[in-house]
Amino acid sequence: MTTLRADRPARPARLSWRTRLRRDRSLILMTLPAVLLLVVFNYVPLFGLATAFQEYDPLAGVWQSPWAGLYQFERLLNDSLFWGALKNTLYLSFVQLILFFPVPIALALLLNSVLSERIRNFIQSVVYLPHFFSWVLAITIFQQMLGGAGALNQFLRSNDIGTWDVMTNPDTFALLVTSQVIWKEAGWGIIVFLAALAAINTDLYEAAAADGAGRWRRLWHITLPGLRSVIVLMLVLRLGNALSVGFEQFLIQRNAVGHDTAEVLDTFSFYYGIATGDYSYGAAAGLFKSVISLLLIWGANKLAHAFGEDGLYRK
Amino acid sequence: MAHELNRRSFLNAAVSAAGLVAMGPLLSACGGSGAQRAGVNSDAGLKAVLPAYVPNTAIKPDIPSVAGGPDVLTDPGFLGYPSTKIATVSGVPGRGGKYTAVTPLWGTIPPADNSFYQAMNKALGVQLEMKPADGNNYNTIIPTMTAAKKLPDWIQLPGWWNSNFNTGGLVGSQLADLTPYLSGDNIKKYPNLAAIPTAAWRAGAWGDKLYGIPSFSTGFKVAGVVFYRRDVLEAKGITADQVKSADDLMKLGKELTDAKSGVWAFDDVYRYIYTAFGAPLKWKVDNGKLVHLYETQEFLDAADWHRKLAVAGYVHPDALAGDNAGGNTRFYGGKTLIGGGGQGAWNLADLQSGQAANPNYRRGAFNFFSADGKSAPRVDMGQSTDIISYLNVNLKPEQIEECLAVANYLAAPFGSAEYTMVNFGVEGLHYTMDGGAPKPTEAGQKEVQAKTYPFLAAAPSAVNNPTGDIVTKDLTAWQAANVKALAKPVFWGMNISMPQAQATADAGQGVEDTLKDVIHGKKSVQELKDAVANWKSSGGGDRLIQWTNDNVLQKYGTGQ
Repeated sequence: MTTLRADRPARPARLSWRTRLRRDRSLILMTLPAVLLLVVFNYVPLFGLATAFQEYDPLAGVWQSPWAGLYQFERLLNDSLFWGALKNTLYLSFVQLILFFPVPIALALLLNSVLSERIRNFIQSVVYLPHFFSWVLAITIFQQMLGGAGALNQFLRSNDIGTWDVMTNPDTFALLVTSQVIWKEAGWGIIVFLAALAAINTDLYEAAAADGAGRWRRLWHITLPGLRSVIVLMLVLRLGNALSVGFEQFLIQRNAVGHDTAEVLDTFSFYYGIATGDYSYGAAAGLFKSVISLLLIWGANKLAHAFGEDGLYRK
Repeated sequence: MAHELNRRSFLNAAVSAAGLVAMGPLLSACGGSGAQRAGVNSDAGLKAVLPAYVPNTAIKPDIPSVAGGPDVLTDPGFLGYPSTKIATVSGVPGRGGKYTAVTPLWGTIPPADNSFYQAMNKALGVQLEMKPADGNNYNTIIPTMTAAKKLPDWIQLPGWWNSNFNTGGLVGSQLADLTPYLSGDNIKKYPNLAAIPTAAWRAGAWGDKLYGIPSFSTGFKVAGVVFYRRDVLEAKGITADQVKSADDLMKLGKELTDAKSGVWAFDDVYRYIYTAFGAPLKWKVDNGKLVHLYETQEFLDAADWHRKLAVAGYVHPDALAGDNAGGNTRFYGGKTLIGGGGQGAWNLADLQSGQAANPNYRRGAFNFFSADGKSAPRVDMGQSTDIISYLNVNLKPEQIEECLAVANYLAAPFGSAEYTMVNFGVEGLHYTMDGGAPKPTEAGQKEVQAKTYPFLAAAPSAVNNPTGDIVTKDLTAWQAANVKALAKPVFWGMNISMPQAQATADAGQGVEDTLKDVIHGKKSVQELKDAVANWKSSGGGDRLIQWTNDNVLQKYGTGQ
């Protein structure tokens, strides 16, 4: 990696902003719509965070709603339901990190080793497809197949084997949702790894093979190091999103396994903030989540830099 | 004032939704002064303003109403469809005013400016622009409009969403006070509105003033009904009158469930049965003390009964997995034989959907019973309608009068010329008379959605299913058999508007979540008790009870 770093161009001499503006104007013009979208839909709504420090009333509006200081956060920290949701979120996130994160990498490696392009494209299309299904559809398919009245259990019942409770068992819920995520998203997740694999210089493999390196040695010494920066980047992003494990997936299955197991921070904000009209409380829960996420992503990025990786950006 | 729901106000609305309703006030400038709420209806105050009641007797029902206790009355039934369609309004009610109306629609939105709308505008003498919105998202569409203070001229605000819409805070500030136009004898200017029973106007009254115009009012409003597949159960020799207690119903679970062939006796029925255990709808007064549903033993008993039902395996697994949307499909397909629902489910469309799955299909309902089978059944009656429309506060007095004249046309009694026009359109163009009943043409099916104009104003409910008289007979007979069980609950028709903190406690999300787990057989009643204790102490429950006692019960009484 150190050799790579030496290849980087030296930082250009500082030009005046006027010169740079003239030089980059077409680029700036091109990014303008995206920046505008970001400002209108991501930054301006940040103003709504003020409601987390209020007793917000939609009819009075933000200007007229009474201020409540840190009252909503006090409520939050004393709410056992909130801590339950936080615990579930972290647990589910951890399980997904262990069981889901490596799957797209392994899948990409496998796919990369398939030589026939036609077969590779076919497999790729098949594993991509579920990503385009909505969660409602994905979970309906699971329910039709594995639910209490689904294909599997009706088969077991008609053969007097007893039934297997998959969809409504709180104890195995983490495995259920992780397998749903794998089924739906693993195919989509391989895209970025396939791109990284394509970028690895094939000469390296040929040279290694000529030197007598076997399949596993090549994987270990060429492929994985080539993927390392992408894997670390994805890991940093994943950690930053550790508190967002998904919303619809849990919203839909919350009644099936009960809120003790399926309540995550996002559904908590929805049920205890928006659905009951307690907007300030929901906003406080959302803000809490955002601050922790920011710390997580900052920490993970620091860690990546400490290991000499790029992380989110080059240092 | 023709307020347009144009692109800009839509953007306002969309943006305020995106920003947790934060942008609303930013765009519409800093207006408004804190949120005032209407308070509570009092008996004495209402008496002074409620409209006079002049029933319409021009069209006689085939099955007359049966009276129960005070304000309790079954809906009249009409068989077939009246052949002579009496006109109740002379001339056109409007004077060419231009208005926009927003109503929820559970169905396919008809094309804008279609031939039915044009015919209606001609008949009404106004340019009434109908903007039906998707009923399933209605509760999220309206708050964005109210936050931006951009309500249309005429809007339907279903009562079950009053706390979502904060209707108590909108009346007076965004919705017009109709008291000067409708109170007492003033309403006689609008005879069809005067034929709506007094009790229905209470549902749209806030803080002792009239705001809402009620549609489909009824003297027989119950939270829910326990339905059964009459064709299937009767074939097994089971009739409704054999079920007299909760135990009887539980026994049916064992008898009817055949999981191997994919048939379960029950769908989720908790909501439709908990009052049979003696639990109140929400409040009751015990020796002068205000008691919340959650505090009662009967609430726990009802949950425990349903828990046993689930644990015994008598409830369809999909229902236990929280899939309520598939309930009708399961019922039509015979996968479940007993399920709950509102009376609205019992109609011609239901008969047709059911018969499409099974030609013998017939819906039946169990009579109300008390869980122990001994005491007389008692069911808390709901307010006489939830379908209430409001006018915009910015309308001028002559505009309000014009809209009320239009409402008078829309509220023409069942079977009249105006009713037929509003519900079926123009004869020959939108419907033809077929075997004595109106049959929609292709244009009628596309353009005449039964629930657009009637959501602005409609006559009191009448049961009528042309070509499906069996449904009319079954439903009216069931109502007549149960009319004695209905009684007014505490705070009936008082429209309490509470501060946000109380409304949150009132929603009781933590208890409702645990309740679901219990009735699905996943938790014990003890855990429900713990959730209630937690709700009382840290969920605002005790404060809610105290607030309601101090601000409603002590000041205004029970309203019964």
